[in-house]
This record gives sequence, structure tokens and C-alpha cells, in this order.
Amino acid sequence: MSATRRSSAARPGRAGRSDAVKRAERTGWAFMAPFGILFIVVFIIPIIYAIYSSFFQDVASGGGAYGGGTMVNKFVGLANFRYVVTSAAFWSGIGRVLIYTLIQVPIMIIAALALAMVLDSYMVKHVTPFRLGYFLPYAIPGVVASIIWVFLYNPQISPIVKGLSSIGITVDFFAGKVVLASMANITTWTFTGYNMLIFLAALQAIPHDLYEAARIDGATGLQIALHIKLPNVRGAALLAMLLSIIGTIQLFNEPQVMQTADPGISNSFTPMMMAMNTSRGTLTPKGNGPASAIAIVMALIAGVLAFLYAWIERKVNE
Amino acid sequence: MISEGKRLLAAVTSLAALSIALSGCGSSGASKSSSESESSKSDEKVQITYLHRLPDKPNMTPVNDIVARWNKSHPNIQVKATKFNGKSAEMIKKLETDVKAGNAPDLAQVGYAELPEVYTKSMLEDVSAEASKYKDNFSPGAYKLMGIDGKMFGLPQDTGPLVYFYNKAEFDKLGISVPTSKDELIETAKKAAAQGKYIMSYQPDEAGNMMPGLAGATKPWYTVKNDAWVVDTQTDGSKQVADVYQQLLDAKAAPTNPRWDPSFDASLKNGQLIGTVGSAWEAPLIVDTMGDTGKGEWRVAQLGDWFGNSGKSSPDGGSGVAVLKGSKHPEQAMEFLNWFNTQVKDLTSQGLVLAATTEEAKTPESWSSFFGDQDLMKEFATANKNMGDFTYMPGFSSVAAAMTETAAKAATGQAKVADIFSQAQTTSVATLKDYGLAVAK
Repeated sequence: MSATRRSSAARPGRAGRSDAVKRAERTGWAFMAPFGILFIVVFIIPIIYAIYSSFFQDVASGGGAYGGGTMVNKFVGLANFRYVVTSAAFWSGIGRVLIYTLIQVPIMIIAALALAMVLDSYMVKHVTPFRLGYFLPYAIPGVVASIIWVFLYNPQISPIVKGLSSIGITVDFFAGKVVLASMANITTWTFTGYNMLIFLAALQAIPHDLYEAARIDGATGLQIALHIKLPNVRGAALLAMLLSIIGTIQLFNEPQVMQTADPGISNSFTPMMMAMNTSRGTLTPKGNGPASAIAIVMALIAGVLAFLYAWIERKVNE
Repeated sequence: MISEGKRLLAAVTSLAALSIALSGCGSSGASKSSSESESSKSDEKVQITYLHRLPDKPNMTPVNDIVARWNKSHPNIQVKATKFNGKSAEMIKKLETDVKAGNAPDLAQVGYAELPEVYTKSMLEDVSAEASKYKDNFSPGAYKLMGIDGKMFGLPQDTGPLVYFYNKAEFDKLGISVPTSKDELIETAKKAAAQGKYIMSYQPDEAGNMMPGLAGATKPWYTVKNDAWVVDTQTDGSKQVADVYQQLLDAKAAPTNPRWDPSFDASLKNGQLIGTVGSAWEAPLIVDTMGDTGKGEWRVAQLGDWFGNSGKSSPDGGSGVAVLKGSKHPEQAMEFLNWFNTQVKDLTSQGLVLAATTEEAKTPESWSSFFGDQDLMKEFATANKNMGDFTYMPGFSSVAAAMTETAAKAATGQAKVADIFSQAQTTSVATLKDYGLAVAK
């Protein structure tokens, strides 16, 4: 970038200028290349391929009871999409993740905000250990966290279940209506610290002159928190909410791991699980075509929801 | 300008090199005939890859040790075995992708229930000629399971006869014995349950494997008539199985812990579960789970006449090893496979009831000490003889998954055990249609 400035300044109006600009442009692209190539290879191409394959379905072609051991990838038009949007299993999966999102995301965001406010206040002297401590669960991979929690939920092994039952409370974390909350608990445990960091960063970016001015005007700590801090982290809240909504729509690790302990969690419990099991052939219709269609419809729904949220949020703020 | 020209040239050259490499990948199918003729030269060194899901637990002879022995004595056929850590459905998906990409292993473990599916998905290499050379080394029933449409795709490894595992000391304490009839089974289970002990387990996550095994002995579910599938999963056998488990569940005489959840192992260890139906390959798994708890107290028995079929069963599990499409050295792969699948002593230690008939399998020391010096292999051989045929349909994995889901509902009372079999019926028909296969009537 500095090269561009220098060359245009040093040789104004000369024929060589465009050469230099070109070279500078090339340099720019070269710097972009590592990102650009990876982005295309691992992001753009797979998306295009998924869209392409969503119009196809594997069908036995050789005749006979076993299809002669040959399969062709048949073009089926929009049949896969028709299947997805008319599939009761798909929509109840969407319903589950929506309920999950509606309950889990606000709880987590409010908890994260509260933690961030406390850490940002003068009440806490040594912030670092707390910040690290709350963030630590996020450092544990989601699958591992889920496995740990499955052990903690297991009625035969869990110290929690045993402890509660010794004081007369019996809980079944895998019961039909509880299981979603058990998953939400894992997600909340994992991501609250992460969201707290987003809020904490936003809080610490607020100029401290504002607090001083408020205090001179006689504002209490609570008033500062409510009227200065809170409005100033709105942007961070939007970001955290959007990331969380997109994340929970893709709910996968928790139900997938908990399925071992609770076979009642169906293969189409969430849309993501449904997509994976469809591609594996443990759901009918099977194969990459219908699986891609599920993934695409789900991405569209997630996109619409995220857009809707951002739009409403902006309207409310106006 | 010159330097730029050079750079361009370099870019073009590297692109060309890349495309050559890529086309090399793609043309593996086309070049097969030439590689086949090459492989007939005895001095050529070939590399065989083998993907398996054998348990490889600490008290077993590791697969890699067995393979190393082969590699030492066969410098020209070098085998590399890899263990796949995951469920069989995951492995099938991986292989499916690998076959399409042309980089699948030469050999892979395939369950008998999965063979029709992977065959229909066009993932197998026809090795009929090679297989027939080794036919006499294996039990005819198991050998047959590795073939479809008159073609052979590999060699059988083990069979999965269902047997009854029980803690004899606990049985004696309760004054009960292994039941012989259905009524006796339910009565004994209730009697034990009253004392907080269970002689049967209801395993929702194994429903898709064990239930067809128990029910299929009476009458097969899937038959082919005029190139179309005749599906009947609600046979008399199925009804009997449903009835037994429903009665056990209603009487709360069978725990519902999933087989592969730690809670199942916990119920074995804490002495609650003192009897369970299981596949023969579960013997070393139970030994491994229990450690020294209940050592010497457990026994294996044949299933009683519990499901109206005089104690017959169909296989639950059991696998062969198949040659995958695109293998460049099917002949050498089969030569190794025949040797590997007849390493009776080593494979027995992996908990397999072998399909090989070349030598008699001896019960490993660690098992017999756990099972009170019982000759388990003899029991398993009896169970093996008692086993009926069972043909699986292509795409059975989705049927098994649907059965499991319904079985879990039955465990909590949201469904009946019989619903598992009606669910199997609808899913079977839908799956066959989705595969583009004909369904009768």
C-alpha cells in the first residue's frame, strides 16, 4: 500500500505509473492469496458443490433385487427440496432448535452480560483469574464437553443425580421434556464465558470520561451501569445474539453425543443431525442429494432469522 | 518482461503437472487391466491396505501384530492395517466417499447386515474367482453371506450367534435356573426383579441388531421374488419377541439401559444385571468391563425356547472382510485375507467366533477364568449350529436406526414393543423405494 503512494508521488503523470500501480495491485493480490485460495477451496467450492449435488439422488440402476451393484447419480430437479420442505421430521427438528434458541440464547446472553458488568465494575479486584475461569469451558471442544456432561447426567454414575436423590429429589436429565434443557445447559456452560468476553471488550472500550462526568452529576454505580454501560454495549449484544442464534440453529454436538445415552434422541432430532444421518444412509431418503438440500434449506432459514433479528433490533433502536 | 514471462511459464508448467497428477487419480479405474497383468509378476512388491473395526483391547492379540507376522513372511505383499474408531455407519460413509474418490483401502470390514447396502452402492469388487479358491476354509453358511447375485466380494471373518450370559452364583443365591420356556422366563424375571436383580435386559440401542436376530430365526423378514423385495417384518417370530419384552417392561423386570452407555456397564458391575442375551462377541467385552468383579461366577448358556422357535436365533452382528472397488491388487488382497481370517488363535482373542473351519478355536485363558472354566467356544459352536439364515435388505442401516428410535420410546412407555416391528415394515419399504429397488405387492 505504501508502495502505491510512493510510486504515484514520485512519478506523477508518467507512462510508468500504470505499471507500478499494476505491480502494486499484484502485490496486494499476492498477500490476499493465502486467504483467497483457502476461502475458495474450503468455502466457496463446497457450497457450490452442495448446491449442485442437491439436485441429484443416488438410485440403483442395474436392475434385479440389488440393483445389480451399480448406482447412478440421477438428476431429480427440485425433488430433494420438495422432500425437505414437506418433511415433518425436518420441521419438528427446526421447531426444536427454535424453542432451544428462544430459551437458551436470552438466558446465556443475560448471564454473560451480567458477568461482564460485574467484572467491569470496581467490585472485582483481580479480573484476570475470573475472566480466564469463565472463558475456560469454551476452550474445551464441544464434543468433549458433551461427553463429560453425559456422565454427569447419567443416573447410574452421576454425582449430581445421586446427590439430589439423597435429599429426596429425583431428576431424569434424559426424560422426554427435560432432554432439551439438559442440552441447553451444556451450551450455556460452554458459551457464556465466550459471550462475556465480547461484552467485556465492549465495556472496556467505553471512554472513562463518561463515568467521571456521570459521577460529578451525582449518578450512582447502578445508574452508570444502566444508563451508560448498557446502551454502549448494544453493538456487542447484537453480535453476540447473531452468533448465538446461528450457532444454536446448527445444534449438533450435544444431541449427537447424548444419543449414546438416550437412543430416544432420533436421527433427525435437529436439522444438522438429520443432514448428517441422511448422508450416512441411516435415514430415508438417503445420500448426499437430500442431505445437501437439508443443509441448504437450513442455512436459508438461519440466514432469514439472523437478518430478521438484526432488522428488528435496528428498528427498535431507531 | 522476461522475468514475468518466466513466471508465467512456471505457473503454466506447475498447473500442467498438477493436472497430470489429478488425472492420475481419476484414471485408476481405466488402468486396472494393466496393473492386473503387472501383479502377476511374482517379484513385484504390492501394498495392501486394510481398514477394520476389531476391538483391539489390551487383553487381545493386536491386529497389527498379526499383520506384522504376515509382512515378515511375505515381503512382496505388504499389508497396512488401520483401525477405524467409530460406528459402522460412519465407516461405510467414509468408504463410500473413498471409493468415489478412487482412494479406498483394498480391504475393509463389512458387517453381513451391511453387505447388501454396500453392494447396491456399488462399492465392492467382484472376486468370485479368488474366493472360490479359499471356500473350503470357511463354514458354508458364513461364506454365503459374503456373496450376492452369485458373485463373491470377500471372505467371512466371524459369526454372531446369540447366547445367554448369566451369573450362576447369583442365580443359585436366588434359587433360580436358566429358564427353558417363555412363561418360565417371565416368571423367573419377575421373581428376580422382586429381589432387585434382573435376568434380562432391554437394550433400545441394540434393537435394530438384536431384535431381527431373535425374530428372524422363526421366519426371514426379507425375501426376493421375481426381482422384487417381499418385506414382512411382523412375523410370528417378531410378535413373540415383542410379547416377551413387552411383558418384561410392563412388569419392570428388565432394565432399559442402552447397551453402549456407561450405565449398562455400571448395572453389570454393581450386580443388578445378572443375566442378559448377547452376541458371542460380547464375551470379552463383558470380561473387560467387569475386571475382577464376579470373576468365575458367570456362565454362558444357549437361549431357551423363549420366542417360540425352540431356542433358534439368527446372527446379531458378525462380519466379513470385503475387497473394495478400485483395489489394484485384488488377488494379493484375497491371499492375505484368507491367511488373516484363518489365524484362529489370534482372532479368537479379539472376541470373534470365527467363520474359519481350518482349526478348532480354543477358549482363551482370560475368558475361561471369568466364566468358571467353561468351554465357551463349545457353547458358541453349538449356538452357531442353531443359527438360522437371515438375509438383510440393502439400506438396512436406516431400518435399524428407525427400530432403535421406536425401541427407546417403548422403554419409556410412549410406544409398544410391537411398534418396533411395524416401524421396521414402513421404513424397509420406504428405503427400498428410495434406493430405486422394486418392492412386491
